[in-house]
Amino acid sequence: MKRALPYVLLVAAAAIYPYAVARVFLDTPIERQMGTAFKIFFFHVPMGWLCMLMALICGVAAAVELRRRSQTAAAVALAAAELGFVCGLGVLLTGPIWGNATWGKPWTGDARQVSTALLWLVIAAYLVVRHYGPSSNRRLAAALAIFGAIDVPVIYQAVKWWKTQHPTTEVVGSLPPALWASLWPALGAIALTVFGLLGIRIRQLLLADALDEGWARQSDLAAAKEVRHE
Amino acid sequence: MNELTPPPTPAAGAPASDEYAPAIGFAAKDVEQVRIYEAKAEQKVARDYQHIVWAYGVLWALFAAYGIFLWRRSARLRADMDALRRALDARA
Repeated sequence: MKRALPYVLLVAAAAIYPYAVARVFLDTPIERQMGTAFKIFFFHVPMGWLCMLMALICGVAAAVELRRRSQTAAAVALAAAELGFVCGLGVLLTGPIWGNATWGKPWTGDARQVSTALLWLVIAAYLVVRHYGPSSNRRLAAALAIFGAIDVPVIYQAVKWWKTQHPTTEVVGSLPPALWASLWPALGAIALTVFGLLGIRIRQLLLADALDEGWARQSDLAAAKEVRHE
Repeated sequence: MNELTPPPTPAAGAPASDEYAPAIGFAAKDVEQVRIYEAKAEQKVARDYQHIVWAYGVLWALFAAYGIFLWRRSARLRADMDALRRALDARA
């Protein structure tokens, strides 16, 4: 069951997606000021939340990895960083598309835009260090992941601490029930997709570690056999 | 000619309304022109499908790209596992 769980999540997401999209486009009223472009909100916001959640998971897992030298924590941190990268890119691309439609400008240098872009760059740096750096750079990678996690509350508070054009955190809380009824399925579909992909990626990374160990043992056995022959 | 007169303020106790106030003191031609612009803007905002298509296209393309990345990685891991199994069988 544990092995099948990520695929079950993806199948559930695939079942919810048509309903979520149909709700957003057919049943949700058009917002008076922003018009049709407001429908970007229903997938942009969940992507933003999941990007921040993945950055938090990555930071915590990296700290655990640093402390306990756990291979599982290392795999969770890397997989979460990859999904944080994908969700962050989604947010940073759909945000300016929405901004272009409603503010007339894709990028305004808004505090929330900048802090989100900073998080995405930190995640990108973490991925570069983990994928291409030597294993001795694990501490640097973990420090980057923890820095990314610290940026998450800054992103959340950015609209309160600084004067910004970006909608505040109260907007979601004050949504009328008709809009919540469309946001929940969209959030559910994206969350199930992200957690399904996270599960698959974690398993892949653990398998890759096991294979590396297998190859190392295999070459040790081969070396021992050669010594015996000599 | 077009003397701008502010619309009359609603009487105390009257329900607040954000609907169009009567345009007093404007030339009918100017009012008509403004209404044409407003109607055009309203149409543009209400049928802004270009931004929607781009935004949703980007989101699903990203997930599809990551899905393909995982699928290729899986295929590579499976090939690596088969190679290791063959190498171990050959040693046995």
